[in-house]
Amino acid sequence: MPAGVSSLLTSDQVSALKILPVEPGTVGPCPVASDALQGIKRQQTNPARWNGAGWEAFVAALRATGVELAEGPVACGVYATDAGGTAYGLPHGVVIAHSAAQVAALLKAAQTHRVPVTVRGGGLTTEGESVAFGGVLLDMTGMSRVLNIDATGLTVRTEAGIFWHGLAEELRREGLDYLSAPLNLTSSVGGTLGVGGIDVNSARLGCSADQAISLQVVTPTGEIVECSDSENAELFQRVILGYGQFGVITEATLRIRPYTPLAMRYFYYSSLRTAIEDLQMLDAADASDYSGILTIMDCAVNLLVAFDSDEREAAFRKNWKSKLRGYGEFGFALCMAGHYALRPWRIGEALYLLRRKREVFPEFRRPEYMRNGKMHDRTVVYSRAVWKHWGSRNMVIPDLATSTERFIEAVERGNAVCRRFFPHYTLYCVGIKLRPEHQAHYEMSCVPPGVQDRAYGCEFEPMIEGAVYSRDHFQSFKNAIYDIGVDMGASYYRFGGMMKGYIRRVFGDALVDKHLAMKRQADPAMILNRDVIF
Amino acid sequence: MFGLTPPAPVMPRDFSACSGCSLCVLVCPMWRARRDPRFSAEGLAKAQQCGATAAELAAPIEACSLCGACDPVCPERIDLSGMIMGLRQRLTNSVPPRTPPPAVLGDLSAMLQKASGAPAAEGAVSRAAPVLLPGPDLRADAELLARVQALVGLVLFDDDGADIVLALELGVEIPHARLHGFLDALRGHSIVAADGLLLRQLRRWLPGSQRMSLGAALSTRAAVRSNLVPSDLYVIEPRAFHGDYERMVGYYDRLQRETGCSLSQDLQRIAIPATSSELGQKLGLVAGDDVQAKWLLQGRKPARIIVENLADRAAFRRVCEIPVLHVAELGEDPEMIKSRPHAFG
Ligand SMILES: Cc1cc2nc3c(=O)[nH]c(=O)nc-3n(C[C@H](O)[C@H](O)[C@H](O)COP(=O)(O)OP(=O)(O)OC[C@H]3O[C@@H](n4cnc5c(N)ncnc54)[C@H](O)[C@@H]3O)c2cc1C
Ligand code: SF4
Ligand code: SF4
Repeated sequence: MPAGVSSLLTSDQVSALKILPVEPGTVGPCPVASDALQGIKRQQTNPARWNGAGWEAFVAALRATGVELAEGPVACGVYATDAGGTAYGLPHGVVIAHSAAQVAALLKAAQTHRVPVTVRGGGLTTEGESVAFGGVLLDMTGMSRVLNIDATGLTVRTEAGIFWHGLAEELRREGLDYLSAPLNLTSSVGGTLGVGGIDVNSARLGCSADQAISLQVVTPTGEIVECSDSENAELFQRVILGYGQFGVITEATLRIRPYTPLAMRYFYYSSLRTAIEDLQMLDAADASDYSGILTIMDCAVNLLVAFDSDEREAAFRKNWKSKLRGYGEFGFALCMAGHYALRPWRIGEALYLLRRKREVFPEFRRPEYMRNGKMHDRTVVYSRAVWKHWGSRNMVIPDLATSTERFIEAVERGNAVCRRFFPHYTLYCVGIKLRPEHQAHYEMSCVPPGVQDRAYGCEFEPMIEGAVYSRDHFQSFKNAIYDIGVDMGASYYRFGGMMKGYIRRVFGDALVDKHLAMKRQADPAMILNRDVIF
Repeated sequence: MFGLTPPAPVMPRDFSACSGCSLCVLVCPMWRARRDPRFSAEGLAKAQQCGATAAELAAPIEACSLCGACDPVCPERIDLSGMIMGLRQRLTNSVPPRTPPPAVLGDLSAMLQKASGAPAAEGAVSRAAPVLLPGPDLRADAELLARVQALVGLVLFDDDGADIVLALELGVEIPHARLHGFLDALRGHSIVAADGLLLRQLRRWLPGSQRMSLGAALSTRAAVRSNLVPSDLYVIEPRAFHGDYERMVGYYDRLQRETGCSLSQDLQRIAIPATSSELGQKLGLVAGDDVQAKWLLQGRKPARIIVENLADRAAFRRVCEIPVLHVAELGEDPEMIKSRPHAFG
C-alpha cells in the first residue's frame, strides 16, 4: 500500500483491511479474496517481478559450487513466455539441469539467499506457470535421457526433463510405448506429472500422473529423495499433481506397455449432448481403447474411438456400434448438406466446416503413418495436427473438469460462453479414469473434489486464425469459463498462474491453507515455483 | 518415377511467427549434442524476438549443420534453415569477421573469383539432357563414381558448384557472375545432385526445373531396390530430404513399403542426420563427434547400413562393426540397369 494512503488510515482501519506483513523476498498469503473475481471482467494476477535482492551474492555462491548459470537476453529470451503467450517475464539467470546433485546445489543456494526458482519442462503451460518473473529459471530439458528400459517388467526409468516424444522415440525402438501422455510431443515428463497429462486413452488408463511408480525428487531445501506410494509416500502424494510446489522431479519410473498401432474410427454428430452421452456410454462399458470428442463447431462434433487390437474392435462392432447415434463421414456430409440447404443464410458456417474438413482431415490420414488401415505413432499424428491447426502464439485453453453426471451441463454452459467470445472454437472432451488408491494424490488438483471413479474434462479452445485479441478479451473469456466451474464445484487443469485467483474459490480456504502450511514447511523461503499456486 | 513438379510454395514466415512449440528442438542435432535450447532453431527465433544480434548468437549459428530437419516440422512454416543461413551471412559480414578464419575465406573467394571467369560448364552436354553433379567426395572415389554413373545413366556435369555450396555454408556472398554462370549452364537440364544444400537452393534458383537427389535417383533403380531387404537400415541424406519434404516423405515411404527396409527416420518422419557436420567440423577446426550416428543406431540392429551420403559411411564405420554400403554399391545387376536408360527415364 502506498505510504501516503496508509498514513491516512487508523491502525484499526489498516488491520481491518487484513493486509498481513510480508517478509521481504517471500510471498504472503494469497491476497485475492474468495469473491474477488466475481463480476470483474479481468483480474491481472501476474506476480510482480522479484526485486533481485541479493542476486550477486547468490550467483557467486552458486558458481562456487560449480553450477553454471547463464545471464543476458540470449540465454533468457527463449523463456520469455509459455505456450499461452499472454504472460511475459524474464528470469535474472538460467540454469540448465544436468543432474540431481546440481539441482540440489541450486536449491540450497536459492533457499539460503531467498532467490525464487521457477522450474520449466516443455513450457506448455498457458497461464504463465512456467514463466519466471525474475530469479532463476531451471530448465529441466537438459535432463532428458532414458536411464533404463525394463521390457519384462514393463517399466522405464527416465530423467524427468525428457519430452514425451523423446521417450516415445526410444521406447518405440524396443517395440514399447508409454501409457498415456499429452497430445503435444513437447511437454516433459516432469512437468506433466506435476499437472496431470490427459490422453485419448485416459478414460481407460487414467492420466499420466497415475502412471508414475516412483520419483526422484529434489526438495525445495535441496535434499535428493526417492519417493513412491510405499517410500516417502507423503512427498510422493504432494509432488504428483503438485504444480512443482513440493520439489523438482529429476527422475521418474513409469509404467509402459507393448507398442501397437491402432484402428481409428470416427462418428459424427450434430448434437454435443448426444455425442457426450454416447462417449460416456462407451467409456462406462469399456467398449474402446481410446475415446474422445473433438468439435469443429458445436453442430459438427466428432466422436473418435480407437482400438489396440482387432478383437477389441470386433467386440465393439458386435456390441456397441449399433447403439451409437452418430453418422459415418458420408452420412454426416449428407445430413449437413440437407441442413444448410434449408438454411441458406448460414452458408458461411457451411463454408467454414468445409474448409476445416479439407485442411484438417488429411492430416489424420497421412500415408506415412498408416499401414494396413492402422495408424502408427498416433501421438505424433495428433500432436502435429494440434500445433498446425490449433497452435498459435496465443494458446488460450480454459477447461472444466467435473464428475460424469455434471459433465454435459458444464460443456453446454462452456459452449455458450465460447459462442459469446469467438466466432470459431474447438471443444475437446475426454474421460479420466481415477484410481481409488490415489485419492490423496488428487487433493487440490485438476481432479474435481469428491469424484471417485471417472472424471471428465473439456477444453474450450478458441480458433485465433490470425485475429488479434486483447489480453482483456482472453482473460474475460477464461473468467467466464472458470466462473462456471466455481458454480458447479468443478476443477480445472490450468488453475495456477494467471488463474490462481480461482484456487480459493473452488477448493475453499481450509484446503488451500492446509496446503499452504505444508508448502511453508517444505519450502521455508518460498522459493520454488512460488507464484504459481499460493 | 515420382512426379517432379513441385507444389506451389506457401510463403514462408520469419522468426517473429515462432510460437515456441519446440517441435524443431526434437529433431535438432545441435540440440541433441548439448541439450541446451539456445542451440536450436527455436532458441535462435526466440532470441531474435528478444532483440539478440547475429554476433550474440554466433555459437548456435556456427553449430547448426543446416540439415534442414527443423523446416518441415515447424507448424508456423518458418523457413528456419533459411533464417540461419541469413544469420550466418550477417555474422560473416560483421566487422571484425568472427568466422570462418580468414584463410578459409580467402581460399573460397579465390575459388569463386576463378570460377566466375571460367567458361560455362556446358558444351559436351546437350540442353535438356539430364546431368549428374556428384560433388567432390564422390569424384574422389573413381570406382564408386563409375558405378553411380552406370546406375543412373547420366552425363557428368563438369561444375559441381562446390564453391557455391561452401559459400552458402559459410554465409559468404556469391559473386553475381559466378552464380549466374553456374545457373545458366544448368538451366534446361534435369539435375541429379549429391549435395542436398545445393539442391535445396536450386529449388529456389531454378523453380520448375527437374531435380532429384542422388540418393533418390539411385534408389529408384530396380537394380538397387531389388537388393534392399528388410534387415537393412537405409540412411537418407537429410538436406535433400528436408528441402523437398512433402514429396520425399512420400517417396521414401513407398520405398519402405516396397522393400521392407527400415529408414533413418524419427517418429515425426524426419530424416535423422547421421553426422552433426557443424561448421567448425566441416572446416576441420573441431574434431567430429559421433553422437548422431550412435543415436541413429540405438535400439536398432540392422544387418547392413545403406547410406546415400559418403560422409555418413565414414561415421558409421567409426561407431559400429555393421557393414556399411553406399546405395550405389547395391546395384550389381547390369541387366536390370539396362532396362531403364537413366534415372529420369
Ligand atoms: C498445444 C497444447 C496441447 C496440449 N495438449 C494437452 C493434452 O492433450 N493433454 C494434457 O494433459 N495437456 C495438454 N496440454 C497442457 C500441457 O501438456 C501440460 O501443461 C504439460 O503436460 C505440462 O508439461 P510441460 O513439460 O510443458 O510443463 P511446464 O509447462 O514446463 O511446467 C508445468 C508446471 O510444472 C512445473 N514443472 C515443470 N517441470 C517440473 C519438474 N521436473 N519438477 C517439478 N515441477 C516441474 C512448472 O514449474 C510448472 O508449474 C497442452 C498444451 C498445449 C499448449
Ligand atoms: S538446420 Fe538442423 S542443426 Fe540447424 S537448427 Fe535446424 S535442425 Fe538444428
Ligand atoms: S517449430 Fe517453429 S514455431 Fe515451433 S518452436 Fe520451432 S521455430 Fe518456433
